[in-house]
Amino acid sequence: MIAGVARESRVVTALGRRALSVQFRRAQLLMPTFVLPLMLLAVIASGTSAGRDLRDFPEVSSYLGFVVAGTLLQGALLSGLTSGMALANDIEGGFFDRLLAAPVRRSSLVFGRLAGTLGLAVLQMAWFLLVALLFGASYPGGVLGALGAAALAVITAVGIGGLAIAIAIRTGSMSLMQSIFPFVFVLLFTAPAFFPRDLLTPTLRDLSAYNPLTYVVEGARGLLQGDASLGDPWIGLAAAVGLAAFATALAVLALRDRARRT
Amino acid sequence: MSGPASSSPPAVSVHGLERAFKGGIKAVDGLDLEVREGEVYGFLGPNGAGKTTTVRILVTLLKPTAGEARVAGFDVVSQADAVRRNIGVALQEAAIDPLMTGRELLRMQGALHGMKGAQARSRAEELLDRVGLTDAGGRRVGQYSGGMRRRLDLAMALVHRPKVLFLDEPTTGLDPTSRSALWREVRSLNDDGTTVFLTTQYLEEAEQLADRVGIIAGGSLVAEGTPAELKAHVGEPTLHVDLAPESDVAAARVALSAVGPLVDCQDDARVAIRAARGKATVPLAIRALDEAGIAVESVEVESPTLDDVFAAVTGSTLEGATQGASADQAEVPA
Amino acid sequence: MSTSTDSPAGRSGSRSGGTNSPAGGVAWAFWLRSLNEVTRVRGALIGTSIAPLVFLLGTSGQFGRLVGLPGFPTDSYLSWIIPLCCLQGAGFAGAAAGANLARDIEQGWFDRLLVAPVARPLLVLGPVLGAITRSMVPVTLVLIVGVLIGGEVTGGVLGIVALYVASAGFCTVAAMWAIAIAVHFRTQQAGPLMQMSVFLGVFLSTAYTPQPLLKGWLEDVARVNPVSHILELARQSTVSGIDLSLAHTWPGLVALAALVAVFGALAMIGLRRMGR
Repeated sequence: MIAGVARESRVVTALGRRALSVQFRRAQLLMPTFVLPLMLLAVIASGTSAGRDLRDFPEVSSYLGFVVAGTLLQGALLSGLTSGMALANDIEGGFFDRLLAAPVRRSSLVFGRLAGTLGLAVLQMAWFLLVALLFGASYPGGVLGALGAAALAVITAVGIGGLAIAIAIRTGSMSLMQSIFPFVFVLLFTAPAFFPRDLLTPTLRDLSAYNPLTYVVEGARGLLQGDASLGDPWIGLAAAVGLAAFATALAVLALRDRARRT
Repeated sequence: MSGPASSSPPAVSVHGLERAFKGGIKAVDGLDLEVREGEVYGFLGPNGAGKTTTVRILVTLLKPTAGEARVAGFDVVSQADAVRRNIGVALQEAAIDPLMTGRELLRMQGALHGMKGAQARSRAEELLDRVGLTDAGGRRVGQYSGGMRRRLDLAMALVHRPKVLFLDEPTTGLDPTSRSALWREVRSLNDDGTTVFLTTQYLEEAEQLADRVGIIAGGSLVAEGTPAELKAHVGEPTLHVDLAPESDVAAARVALSAVGPLVDCQDDARVAIRAARGKATVPLAIRALDEAGIAVESVEVESPTLDDVFAAVTGSTLEGATQGASADQAEVPA
Repeated sequence: MSTSTDSPAGRSGSRSGGTNSPAGGVAWAFWLRSLNEVTRVRGALIGTSIAPLVFLLGTSGQFGRLVGLPGFPTDSYLSWIIPLCCLQGAGFAGAAAGANLARDIEQGWFDRLLVAPVARPLLVLGPVLGAITRSMVPVTLVLIVGVLIGGEVTGGVLGIVALYVASAGFCTVAAMWAIAIAVHFRTQQAGPLMQMSVFLGVFLSTAYTPQPLLKGWLEDVARVNPVSHILELARQSTVSGIDLSLAHTWPGLVALAALVAVFGALAMIGLRRMGR
């Protein structure tokens, strides 16, 4: 029993490490995960900073520090999606069949891929928070607050990764994975990613209540700013963990189905 | 086929051609060659010998760093437009837009060569018929087999009735049936007067199609001539005699040495001699052995192949060279 | 079978010379082919059309309250960003032309075009014309959806014309830039570089708020970014505070002309270098 667990955990580690190294060897995958969110952060933080002058905008120490929570969320969405894309690539290239033929548990294949997503997300979040800090963001919540916000985003990345992996396993199509790219932004923009929920247009504000990412980004904001009135970290944690558990289950089920079909 | 009047300029003439890449590596280094109008020229070389670089220079895709090359009488650098107008090109790994149908591609190629709509359309139908793709003409190329793609590629190279046709490894990866179909087409084109510059890694292909063969190694030409000339240059045919079990090998060697000079042979039950007169040597050898009272199991005459020529001049063999060549080439003197 | 017509004797002497094929026919052939990228690739339009649409809806929802700030020329944020999303869609359609060209170069198809007796500028113009045509889909979609959910057409027909001119022009600029990158790097790996620069070009301008409301470094960047002028040209269509006038038109046209000249020259230089 223990030997079995140890063996599967070695499999998960090896697959996770491979997923991470592939990510760094392909420029097409690095760009969306490390550069694109920062570019959006730059244009939004500078382009909409006049928003702070709006009457209902909460008191924050820096606008960049407020907006960066949205960047963490976007990073989580993109690292999750690229996991799905990389998996679809493995399926198209035949590498995934080789893995399926290996004497390992099916769930280990999913967990291995998600371990890669987790590793990637950790690097991403550290990178985003650091770059924003260099460009003048302040985090009144301190180191613990920043770590907590990063943790929320990392768990969310695993959740999104699970969804993307489930889709990739069911379709096995790289081009389909690429075409769902814009929907990352749908999830992002239907949450109060860059502006306070109370300042969204009424329709979007009502809609955002149903998006679990709303609670994640608000929780992260509360942690970064050290101000629970901006968002409750525990509700954020519940939303992120719930999403991750649900999505992982979906991915494992999808893989079982695929293994049965082939 | 025999070349037409010697007064016309050569289809391809290359003098002191050089192409150096970054780091000073010369892919082509002082190449000289000439292809007469109306001939099929087979251009052979191992991987990395400079074959593709040469072809890319001749079809204006790459500029030489020194030397001169003229195609259809025009300079490939200063008169690139004129060269392009007179050549047809079917490059290796036929890159064809998979989203287009065969018919559309041929019409587009016609437009690229300045044909009007109706003219391009009728030419497309003519060529689809010629390469046997009329029925498949409306299908997207992405659904074509490898052989169909190569045939379409060839048809696209012919749209404007080029004077000189460049075929870069036209049958690599094709099955034998598709290969011989393509060969037939190349022969028929050549019969119509088109000069063909063919690079290939199949020696059999060169033997089948080429009037003359040039072998490139290390960026320059190391041998050139008709296949027969090249083979004669390498050596005479060899006669192999397999002796019956327990025959006296020493006596057989003595008997056969009267017919022709002995050739080293690794097999103990086998004796080989040079056979300058080819198959006519066989009765002489059998009579000599019979008179010596030696029993023979079999006799065969082996002529040198282009592969032997290739091995002799480049010191290496070509991929796929064993096709059509006989099994024990080691015994042929190089 | 018509092998006899293939005889070299059948070739007319005039075709042996060095003149290139007529530009019109070649451009038409390139244009027809480029349309395949949208008509024959399943889901090809999703990326280029949905993205600006999502941006339109998302941005207007997130930042709609910004029009409440003093200095905003309109009270409809949707109307403010419709032209922005049109330019974004057109710009990405242009960048896609470069990505497709890089693919053609990698796969060897472009070699086939290079050995054709075609004037070299047509090899750039073909993909650009295709990109402009394709860009009309996201631009029109953004305009229609934007108006349906409450955007106002304040500039009338002429305003719409200005929007389309700005979009087509910006698509040309983006395509020439992307083609210049494609002929330089000759790999699809350069795709993100093409898109990234278009993205930054569009958004480091008066994208979200008008110039007086910009703060910090962006205030200066947006002032010198020619895209701000192109946006102004386009905003004559839907932004009530930017009326139809020559003063709002000519800076955008000059910016477009200058960018087309610069990037077009870069693309041509890169193309000429390809055989070296």
